Amino acid sequence: MKPTIAQHYPGDSVLHRLDPRAKIVAVTVLAVALFTRDSFIALAVYAVAAAVGLALSRVPLSWFWRSLKPVIWLVAIAFLAQVAFAPGPSFAHFGPFHLSWRGLELAAYLSLRLVVLVLTGSLLTLTTSPVALTDGLAWLARPLRRLRVPTEELALMVTIALRFIPTLLVELEAIMRAQRARGADFSHGGLLRRARALVPVLIPLFIVSFRRADELALAMEARCYVPGVRRTRLHPLRASWGDVLVLVLAVGAVLTASLV
Amino acid sequence: MTTLIDIAGLQFWYGDAEALAGVDLRIREGEFVAIVGANGSGKSTLARLLGGLDRPGTAAAAAACGHDLLTHDGRIAARRDVGVLFQDPENQFVGANVEEDLAFGLENLSWPAERIAARVAEVVETFGLGDLLQRAPQSLSGGQKQRTALAGVLAVPRRVLVLDEPTSMLDPAGRDDVLQAVRRLHAGGLTVVYVTQEMDEVTEATRVVALRAGRVAFDGPPTGLFADVDLVDQLSLGLPMPAAVAAELARRGRRLIGLPFSLDDLVTALNAGAVL
Amino acid sequence: MSWAGRVVGRSDPQKLGAVEVAGPPRQPDGCLVEAEGLSFAYAEGDRRVVAAAGISLRLERASCTALLGPTGSGKSTLLFLLRGLLEPDSGAVRIDGLAPGDAAFTAAQRSVGVVFQQAERQLFAVSAREDVAFGPRQLGWGADAVSAAVTEALEVVGLPEDRFGDRHPYSLSGGEQRRLALAGVLAMRPRALLLDEPFVGLDPGARRDLAATVGRLRGGGRTILLATHDVDYAWALCDERIVLAEGRVMAAGPWSFDAEGVSVLTANRLRVPSLVELWQRLGRPAGEAPRTAAAAAEALL
Repeated sequence: MKPTIAQHYPGDSVLHRLDPRAKIVAVTVLAVALFTRDSFIALAVYAVAAAVGLALSRVPLSWFWRSLKPVIWLVAIAFLAQVAFAPGPSFAHFGPFHLSWRGLELAAYLSLRLVVLVLTGSLLTLTTSPVALTDGLAWLARPLRRLRVPTEELALMVTIALRFIPTLLVELEAIMRAQRARGADFSHGGLLRRARALVPVLIPLFIVSFRRADELALAMEARCYVPGVRRTRLHPLRASWGDVLVLVLAVGAVLTASLV
Repeated sequence: MTTLIDIAGLQFWYGDAEALAGVDLRIREGEFVAIVGANGSGKSTLARLLGGLDRPGTAAAAAACGHDLLTHDGRIAARRDVGVLFQDPENQFVGANVEEDLAFGLENLSWPAERIAARVAEVVETFGLGDLLQRAPQSLSGGQKQRTALAGVLAVPRRVLVLDEPTSMLDPAGRDDVLQAVRRLHAGGLTVVYVTQEMDEVTEATRVVALRAGRVAFDGPPTGLFADVDLVDQLSLGLPMPAAVAAELARRGRRLIGLPFSLDDLVTALNAGAVL
Repeated sequence: MSWAGRVVGRSDPQKLGAVEVAGPPRQPDGCLVEAEGLSFAYAEGDRRVVAAAGISLRLERASCTALLGPTGSGKSTLLFLLRGLLEPDSGAVRIDGLAPGDAAFTAAQRSVGVVFQQAERQLFAVSAREDVAFGPRQLGWGADAVSAAVTEALEVVGLPEDRFGDRHPYSLSGGEQRRLALAGVLAMRPRALLLDEPFVGLDPGARRDLAATVGRLRGGGRTILLATHDVDYAWALCDERIVLAEGRVMAAGPWSFDAEGVSVLTANRLRVPSLVELWQRLGRPAGEAPRTAAAAAEALL
């Protein structure tokens, strides 16, 4: 299994068993609070909360590291930008760049914020299956139904799309292999040439996908799917005291931090 | 015995092309009816119409399990009583894993969670899917996916099961699994409509309806169809080897009595001095 | 498994018309394909799947061999390895005695054509002619050579250019599309042809037409490897067979129906070809069993 930034790690930890809605709200609250408080202690509280979450999730640290990796560059650039351009008295010069204590401080804050943000986001996606995540978001988005937004149908669409991504990738690989065997070259040449080389891959992929969608729609109707009808779930979302606790803790952490 | 399928004078067009040109079909509870025909004969169209999945063009009568297929509500209701299994195992798998997929139909019917769980457990037992519950579709073989699809279709309690060439994309092992399952289901009382181009898959059927160019060319016991060598030739079906050999003999002027279905029948006919 | 009647017998290969072209070979001579100890495994989820476990084989020039085995036995992987689309973990492929280090090896391996499963999925051009021309053009042939190769290939697969050349690939039937994809491979004048489950998903008529096409190709001098789980078509079209199970070669060589030959088939969820079974039941030697229903009828008269 190749972990990526939004991969799910199946498990049975305390965090895995929480209601996705509580997790989504908690992470959102923390993420917003993360960027609105400027004190170091507030940041420390959030960092500790994230660390505790990491531990409770029982997900191997390597997975968290892998979701951080793509963001490392962003963090490094942000760090350098803050260091180089922050106002305040400087103690060293590198050409146009001034190093100052204030700059270092701001840079440290920003980097820490970004890291904690990515970690809490990963905590959410690693401990919540895509289906549960979609269900949770659909429930939270229910008020949008008043505005005629078809949240249930969209949630089902997302779930199905996620289910078919591996299938599409296999299909893509098979088509590329077939065209490569006919002499197609996807790795050489400028941007234009490579784009043109993809035509023998994209057209069949589209056609197969449309046909697939047609057949799938038929199969869904054959199993009594009617858009608009309220669907029940085999594993309905059931909030428990643990979820309420998580929400209280999240809000509590934010309040504590704002008082400091 | 209740008549579950009552079709008379059914016509259907794809744009200007006539796919069904007046089909009559009556199926009673408990029957195992094979519908055979070449590509373009209209058999897949008929399968979809029986399941309430398409709107008939015109018909003197079109009812499935008492629901009027000519009305929208009737078709929606028919989808509940008539299950349809299609050809491609990949394109019928909706859920993220087997368990989710089995529950899909019942979720659509707004069943409460406990009832869904109980029914899924039943169906898992019947189709032997216990080890596969958490597996994602990409880790399943074609046969396993098709078995899951069959279980998922039948998780909704059905009165009629229509299968549209369910084994054409499977290997021999997968094909055997599906055929065995269908046999068991029929023995358990389910009414089965099996659409295929392969004659050797319908040895269980007591009745064969052959379609050609959108019309019923034959409706009766398989032995009756196989006695008509010329008709079988015109239908362009996949014949089991014994029948194919007999058809070739017939083309060379030596006719056996009807087309033998099984190797035993062929050997018997040959030994009886028809040719040797 | 049902039997679809009319397949072109081994006794009437149809030669390709003689066409003068510059560059590509006129009549492809089959290449010798060998493998020694091929092994290949890949990771799937948290499992390690062994697709090939020390496969060794030898396909003689111009031979026609069936690669039998259930789904998951590693047939596709073996074809990819032979064509060089995958690098083996260990072991080597040799084409015409050339090994991967030799200068001419890559070119030789490129002359091995592969027809993939559900081959019609590779069709993308606006006309049949254009799609078939893709391969030859990628090989860098001149316009005349490409045009000749296209005409020839379409003729061989039974989709003559004058009738089908301008048709849009997706306006063709499933069986015609698959034969069009085959034409796309043939147009590159491969000296070996590897077919991966070409009959799956086709209706009986389309299977007959495709089998007739493969039958025509047999006389053309190419080395052919037909990977299939359809034992009856394998019997109709191939002189030899290799039985593959779980990445291992269980049997290789001419068809054999003694006790061992039969058990190697049944042990791997394969059948004895139905015509062989018929001959055995009639008390006739299995080795003389006819290849097609038509041949059986002839023999019985």
